[in-house]
Amino acid sequence: MTGAIADLSRAPPPGDLAVEICVIGSGSAGATAAWDLAAAGREVVVLEEGGDYTGERLTQRDGRMYDQLYMDRGGRTTADLGVSVLQGRVLGGGGVVNLCDVVPIPDPVLRHWQRRYGLSDFSPEALAPFRDRALADLSASLPDTADPRLFNRNNRLLRDGAAALGWRGEVMRHNRVGCEGVGTCNLGCPLDAKRNPRFVAIPRAVEAGARFFTRARAARIEGAGSEWKTVHGRRLDADGHREVGAFTVRARWVVLAANAVGSAALLLRSGIGNDRVGRHLSLQPQLPVAAWFDDEVRFFRGVPQSFAVTEFERLDDPDHGWWGFRVEAVGGTPGIVATMLPRLGLAGMRDMARLPRLAAVLCLAPDDAQGRVEVERSGRLRIRYALSDEQRGRYRAAARAAARLFLAAGAREVVVSDAPPVPVRSEADLPRLDAMSFRPATAPLLSAHQQGGVRMAPSERDGAADPEGNVHGARGIVVLDSGGFPTSASSHTMAPIITVAHFQARRLLARMRG
Amino acid sequence: MQLRDAPRGGATGTSPSVFSRRRFLGWSLAAGGAVVAAGGGLLALRGRAAPVPGLRCLSAHEFRTLDRLAAALFPREGPVPTPADGDLARAFDAFLADEPEWNRADLRRGLFLLEYGPVVFERRLVTFSHLSGEERLAHFEGWTTGSLLRRQLAVALRKFLALVFYDRPEAWPAIGYEGPLVGGAR
Repeated sequence: MTGAIADLSRAPPPGDLAVEICVIGSGSAGATAAWDLAAAGREVVVLEEGGDYTGERLTQRDGRMYDQLYMDRGGRTTADLGVSVLQGRVLGGGGVVNLCDVVPIPDPVLRHWQRRYGLSDFSPEALAPFRDRALADLSASLPDTADPRLFNRNNRLLRDGAAALGWRGEVMRHNRVGCEGVGTCNLGCPLDAKRNPRFVAIPRAVEAGARFFTRARAARIEGAGSEWKTVHGRRLDADGHREVGAFTVRARWVVLAANAVGSAALLLRSGIGNDRVGRHLSLQPQLPVAAWFDDEVRFFRGVPQSFAVTEFERLDDPDHGWWGFRVEAVGGTPGIVATMLPRLGLAGMRDMARLPRLAAVLCLAPDDAQGRVEVERSGRLRIRYALSDEQRGRYRAAARAAARLFLAAGAREVVVSDAPPVPVRSEADLPRLDAMSFRPATAPLLSAHQQGGVRMAPSERDGAADPEGNVHGARGIVVLDSGGFPTSASSHTMAPIITVAHFQARRLLARMRG
Repeated sequence: MQLRDAPRGGATGTSPSVFSRRRFLGWSLAAGGAVVAAGGGLLALRGRAAPVPGLRCLSAHEFRTLDRLAAALFPREGPVPTPADGDLARAFDAFLADEPEWNRADLRRGLFLLEYGPVVFERRLVTFSHLSGEERLAHFEGWTTGSLLRRQLAVALRKFLALVFYDRPEAWPAIGYEGPLVGGAR
């Protein structure tokens, strides 16, 4: 079979398309699976709802890029608007728009999955070769901290603050090659310097014969109990805003790789699976904290996220695996920064006028996977998610830690976005943060690492798929993305997703042969 | 000064899963009910809105409500150049045109509620568009700490307007941002 990338906004696919494997989603999981399966000689078609954006088509402009590169035009949220859910919608998926952090699944987390969730095959030893392959796919490396393009002042301030307080921290691995420090990573890299699926797994899958269809939305799957499934798809227009036609793909195997939310939603829309589908969704929300300095920081230039304070995280919590929180530097483009700063009107404009002196971090905290994906009869997606009291307490502690880090680094004022805003000018102000309510739609929490929703578990009572990813109650429908994760795999999910996709694709090939 | 590329503003927090329909309908009915109970007198409070040619989704009244909100959030005396009157509201109208019907309906109801916010939540006989700029800002700030629905609407509307406002090249020199650094994207 001849591989290709075809844009369905321009022309429909062949009318009688029947293939061995249909992969839904072209991100880290889907592209990796397509590569492995096609390389093994299997006939593969991949459906991607987004378009193909590379090079200078990535304009570095907030409005156009959020519209084109993210689900719901960048506006996906939980039902209560408490958490903004950032999910890639582009050929290559989240890897195109993420901040390039490479953090594999810690061994204690894998052991936790084995012990607590019955994923006995997921031992650190079994996963190690697939983790190594993922790191090779990503060209993972440590950034040169002497190069201000790769380790900017915002990251240095965080490192300085941690050093002053005697707190643990680490330089983070990334998957950039040839980075010039443009800084707009969340809007894609116009230099194509990210070694993401768009430039690694997808071209290799195409070489091996896989066909990728962009602007191709998977609407539902029919025939879940049959040897041949029918994926009903919709062609979208060039901007991906409107449906312009329908198509079908018949396949013996359907691989779900549409992100934790998307994979669960597709099963729900199709009426496939047990009552665990959509449950156990982890959003791993992140809390932004900003600070004003007397001199320029220019956090919007350079690699946004290359240092993390790890003092308050642990990887071997007996109940959760990865737990606590970590504090990481972050950058941002003006449009999105303006939506995070708390003050309005003239005061808000004055804040933006001193943007070059702003520094920012994100506080990352794993959760109990208490979220749920629902689909209404109208087709409207709902993501239910409520912060627990324990989480609120952990975010308050994280906000305190971030404020202390900034103050130790010399900040004039720390601003934790909340309504009303909470300014901190000295350690004496820290108790103010204890009053943060974290009611929905107050602090601007965001999620970039959705996991669960089609949780893997040995028993149908506990999960929506078995440990090999086979969706319970279906035949030949397999979840290979983060939807299968039982808990937060890591602070950043790209490397974990690629690792598990390689691992599960190998096992899927073995089943297909059998 | 005209907006460039503005109509494609995303990251609005206005996804298909934004509002609780029951709560939304409840408050909308409260606002609508107040208008009806007053024999339509309250409807007259908002006065006439000048026709706006070329709108795809918003009514002239909704357009005016949003335009007045934008003027309160980004006053002309601020340090960042503001776009021409109506440009941000027009960008919102263009954005809505490509949104699912349920989202369009929710956000239009939200603008109705905002217009009658002073009546419903402050028991004043004046609508949002007729408040002074400072009063409008104060009223809207009240929404950011008010009930869940008001907070949600405040987040959604503010996010859209802020993102579009600061995505304009005209705004960048005033905030020390050089804009895109690479090639034709500059």
